[in-house]
Amino acid sequence: MKKLLILLLLVFTLPAMAGLKPYEGEGATPPLKLVDMQGNAHDLVEYKGKVVLVQFWATYCPPCREEMPSMNRLMEKMGDTPFVILAVNMGETMEEVEPFVKEVGPEFPILMDPDGESIGAWQVFAAPSNFVVGADGKIHYTLFGGVEWDDDEIVSKLKELSGS
Amino acid sequence: MRLIKSLQQILLILLVSLPVAVFAQAEIETLEISDEAEVDIRVFKADGDKLLLGFACDEGQSVAEEATAMSLAEDGVEVWMPDMLGGYMLPKTRSSIYSIPSEGLYSVIERAIETGKKVFLIASGPDTELVLRVANEWEAKHDGEAAGLAGVVLMFPRLNEGKPEPGKEPEYVEAVGKTKEVPLLLLEGERTPNRWGVKHLTTALAAGGSHVHAKLIPDVRGYFFKRQDANMPEEVVTTQLAGLIKASLFFLGRTD
Repeated sequence: MKKLLILLLLVFTLPAMAGLKPYEGEGATPPLKLVDMQGNAHDLVEYKGKVVLVQFWATYCPPCREEMPSMNRLMEKMGDTPFVILAVNMGETMEEVEPFVKEVGPEFPILMDPDGESIGAWQVFAAPSNFVVGADGKIHYTLFGGVEWDDDEIVSKLKELSGS
Repeated sequence: MRLIKSLQQILLILLVSLPVAVFAQAEIETLEISDEAEVDIRVFKADGDKLLLGFACDEGQSVAEEATAMSLAEDGVEVWMPDMLGGYMLPKTRSSIYSIPSEGLYSVIERAIETGKKVFLIASGPDTELVLRVANEWEAKHDGEAAGLAGVVLMFPRLNEGKPEPGKEPEYVEAVGKTKEVPLLLLEGERTPNRWGVKHLTTALAAGGSHVHAKLIPDVRGYFFKRQDANMPEEVVTTQLAGLIKASLFFLGRTD
């Protein structure tokens, strides 16, 4: 029975453990300077000292839609930890994005990238594509595909990265 | 009285349209591709000089493809849809595509080229690996020349090897970048994350020497013609799929 419980625990925690992958790329973190849906400018450089989850997403991507509520819960779980999410929309218009954003109510900025400039710079070829940038401004983890962001394993890794 | 008149009119329309419907139906031709395998090919006959060989490996479910094939045939493009999975008694699953021997497809192309028409290949999604693989082998057996193969249409190609990794360039299946002469046309939906990889894939496909052109279809997601939740623009483009393919063949014809 105990063995079965351990096995079940492994099966259910595996997706989350397999989620955040140490970043193997080289070179500097690409620039990210975009305007959010409210018209506020964001520059990744200005977030140095905080852990930043940079996510590339689109409303036509079902896993992106599914996981966004869990990103709100992640924000809550991170509490006072210096952590922000920058969710970059992949080339859609305000008209396309607004209805979904109203429905989910993300508690983090949605950056608009109508020409896909940042998508090329960050080498994003699929969605959702996620990058975890450490307080040092370097990319530490990546993750492709949908995930429950408020999973304890992920929260613990992000807190560890922030030094909390 | 009015009801009887209406019924008479409906009956008349049905009787008049019956021969047309029968004409648009596919004929089944059986081709022996090896000592042990025979392939049934749904043939939508047409008088034009173009023949489109489509590898819809979901026989029985390819409703949109069949309607498109009928429409193309009525417009002069002959369409052949071989049931490769049935021919090799493979299960009708996505992974079976990789088990289809190239020789079988090779025989189908040979038979198509014997008609004297310009032969084009078309596939969508993961099936695009199959048409690229066979186009490559076809050229290899003809000293690197297209030898009657007029072009390949790749709809929503899914040619990645493994899962994409953020921050890393994608890696593709072996068939990518091997064709030398046969022109390729890539079609991708504008509302799919894969559109951001089109430029990279186009470059990779052209590495062997083929001319590669890519077109984004506005306002549609990938596999829009198979979707249960198709929206208005997707339904409109599905009804125009034959026109889109015909334009693709015209475009490919200009580049060879």
